[in-house]
Amino acid sequence: MSREKDAANYAIVFFIAVSVLLLIFPASKLANTARIAASYSLYPSMHYGAKYGYFIRNVPANFVALLETDQENRALKDKLRGLEVKLQNASPLVSENERLTREMRLSRGLPWAGSWARIVNKTPADWYGSFFIDKGAEAGISVNDTVLGMEEGRAGLAGRVFEVYPKFSKVLLLTNSAASAVCSIAPAGLEALVEGKGTWLLRMNYVPEESALAEGVELVTSPGGLLFPPGIAVGKVAKVYPRESFMNFITADVTPAVNVNTLKEVFVVKRNIQTDLTGQAERK
Amino acid sequence: MTIIMEVLVYLATGSLYWWWTQNLTFFGLAPNLLFAAALCAAILAGPVKGIAWGFFLGLYADMLGSSLFGGYALTYSLLAYAVYVMKRHFDMASPFSQLVAALALSWVCMFFYQGLSLAFARINPLGLKIFLAEPFLNALAVPVVFQVFYLLKRRSGVI
Repeated sequence: MSREKDAANYAIVFFIAVSVLLLIFPASKLANTARIAASYSLYPSMHYGAKYGYFIRNVPANFVALLETDQENRALKDKLRGLEVKLQNASPLVSENERLTREMRLSRGLPWAGSWARIVNKTPADWYGSFFIDKGAEAGISVNDTVLGMEEGRAGLAGRVFEVYPKFSKVLLLTNSAASAVCSIAPAGLEALVEGKGTWLLRMNYVPEESALAEGVELVTSPGGLLFPPGIAVGKVAKVYPRESFMNFITADVTPAVNVNTLKEVFVVKRNIQTDLTGQAERK
Repeated sequence: MTIIMEVLVYLATGSLYWWWTQNLTFFGLAPNLLFAAALCAAILAGPVKGIAWGFFLGLYADMLGSSLFGGYALTYSLLAYAVYVMKRHFDMASPFSQLVAALALSWVCMFFYQGLSLAFARINPLGLKIFLAEPFLNALAVPVVFQVFYLLKRRSGVI
């Protein structure tokens, strides 16, 4: 223990002496030599420390940058999701816009005055029977106005206005089993009655048996009909049934000119039918 | 072989302190790793080696500074000697005693170095912020450095 203490004392005396010499004679050769020796010995460690410390020095900044990038990435992903949703919403809008543009262009070529209306409600239980449109009495819609649909660039008969309310109306479709229209068969102009069946097809009755009715023949509304203006496409003959022995006319299935399933907007033709013809005069 | 390891540990300690003060200062403050290393070496090593570690670590601190070459060497040599005396009476291996010793000896060293600066160079190097905050940072650093040095001593016999 005493030896260790002696060693400690010698050591501290030695190092104190060296230190004090360095302090007392800072400009002496001894101090300068010690300073230069220490500097030359120790600076390499700093040099390499600086050289390789570069990789470590940027760690905090890189870590912060990484966090910021991650946050930015999350924000951009959210934005991207929002844009995808907007894009998905925009796609139907674009197609709707194109469809409306096409229909507007068509409606300008129609010989009837009227207004466009949007279908706002279809009842699944009465799919081929009726639907509601967003125009009513306030828009000048009246009962029995003709309702047209646009199909492949042509106007076709969809039905007629059945009930009118201030802001909306109910349309009775031609496919409704209670609906019918007098039609003219091209090219001879023979007249027949087209009736709804409550399905996607129409039934044509009272076709004279001598008529050369064939599949694909086009039907238009007849000038003899009261409710609909003449010349509106009603449909095409899909199937002709042979004459029954007890009947003197033939029947046929007709594909409607307007597909109710794809209809989004309709053109309501103002008919201004005289009230005594529609029977309202009697009710009054 | 051991002496080479000691030199490497010494250079690594100095480089780490230099790098820390360059890159990881917090409001201009950083723990004085050279002081912490000198204290820990004095606790772990024998008296002569402890004083030598104190002297050379002080020399490193002097080299990093621009004034009073030898001031820190003298200060840390005396620190090592003081620790040598203290550890005969106190258990310096426990973290709490290291913490208290680091806190107290930091201020003692600061005052001593300031006295040396005033005496030899007529300058007052001690900033109030450093004086108030650095001893606490040193107190936190010493137990960590002690564990590192202790592991090095157990595995490779350095210090």
